[in-house]
Amino acid sequence: MGYALVLVRSASLNLDAFARATGTHPDLVRRLVALGILDAARDAAGELWFAPSQVAVMGRVQRLRAGLGLNYAAVGLVGDLLDRIAVLEAALREARQQGR
Amino acid sequence: MPGGPRADRRDFYEILGVSRTATQDEIQRAYRTLARQHHPDVNKDPGAEDRFKEISEAHDVLSDPQTRRRYDAFGPDFRQVPEDVDPEAFQRSRAGAGASQARGAGGFGPGLGDDLGGINVEDLLGGIFGGRGFGPIPGADAEAELELTVEEAFQGGRRSVTLQGADGRRTLEVRIPAGVTNGQRIRLAGQGGRGSEGAPNGDLYFVVQIAPHPRYRVDGRDLYVDLPLAPWEAALGTTVAVETPRGEMKVKVPPGTSTGKRLRLRHHGLPHPRGSAGHLYAEVRIMVPAKPTDEERRLFEQLAEVSTFDPRRR
Repeated sequence: MGYALVLVRSASLNLDAFARATGTHPDLVRRLVALGILDAARDAAGELWFAPSQVAVMGRVQRLRAGLGLNYAAVGLVGDLLDRIAVLEAALREARQQGR
Repeated sequence: MPGGPRADRRDFYEILGVSRTATQDEIQRAYRTLARQHHPDVNKDPGAEDRFKEISEAHDVLSDPQTRRRYDAFGPDFRQVPEDVDPEAFQRSRAGAGASQARGAGGFGPGLGDDLGGINVEDLLGGIFGGRGFGPIPGADAEAELELTVEEAFQGGRRSVTLQGADGRRTLEVRIPAGVTNGQRIRLAGQGGRGSEGAPNGDLYFVVQIAPHPRYRVDGRDLYVDLPLAPWEAALGTTVAVETPRGEMKVKVPPGTSTGKRLRLRHHGLPHPRGSAGHLYAEVRIMVPAKPTDEERRLFEQLAEVSTFDPRRR
């Protein structure tokens, strides 16, 4: 268990590093974690850790908010739907190819 | 588009698909609908971001009654026309300058935007997502399909791909790694949506789609090819040439081979950059002459009399 935690931490960003990398305020990041829009792990000390993939998620959150004027609840919903569509489109593409 | 022509030349009403007499409600409705369709996170098409930008610019201008009035009076260059200019005097001077080509004499030349250059709507708005109090925002990833032939997937190489954006085309040189397969993504770093205020651009992904081939069928990295055999070749065994993407290969057909049997040519399928290549399977299909000669017919009849072979016996 301890081994896995070390692995996760080495590749992850803590709250301040994540906020810096995404040009956002740590308070906003914390709020998005609370809303379930960003995925974060919490270590024994209670500190938040973010996988590098969450940087791209944060970018999408910012674009959806700025470009469509969505509130954060709507951003979360749209993000979930877009992820589901991506999975479905990949499956559809595969099915189409096998049907040839 | 970097280096491309600017997008602010198209008519803003046309971009939103509304008439010049549209109400503010109609403009809002058209904008909301189009923005949802073309938002670069919703629409992965590489041209979607440019369309979204156009739509946003058109909305920014037309949704404010005052800038809309100035746009109606002065056209796309209205931002460069001083606030106190009378629209009618502007129209007259513009027509005069157009006729004489005397730049400066009439006040405003025909190429006003270019002459006064340097002012870009995008600068004023701070880019597609920026400048509205959101800070730097990275660009979205875009996605396009890339159809390759089996040979291209086998050999890899370079290929130029032209993408159509809202404000022009751009041609990209794509390096195709040997052994790409269906559904695999080729990443072009930084060629996706533009980031605002110095934030990084998104990436452009080409999703590989291997085109149907007259000879090869593709399944992952394995290739399947038909191997037509004459009945006597299949019965007695033979060695035949099979076309592979690498060139002709000799394949040994063992005696007693029936239709449907797959002869495997190990690792002669599509290569794998970080592993072992796929296989090539030659699938046997026994063919008979559609119009046998008398001699052939006689020999088949003789075989039928002599043979006790029953392919339907259980």
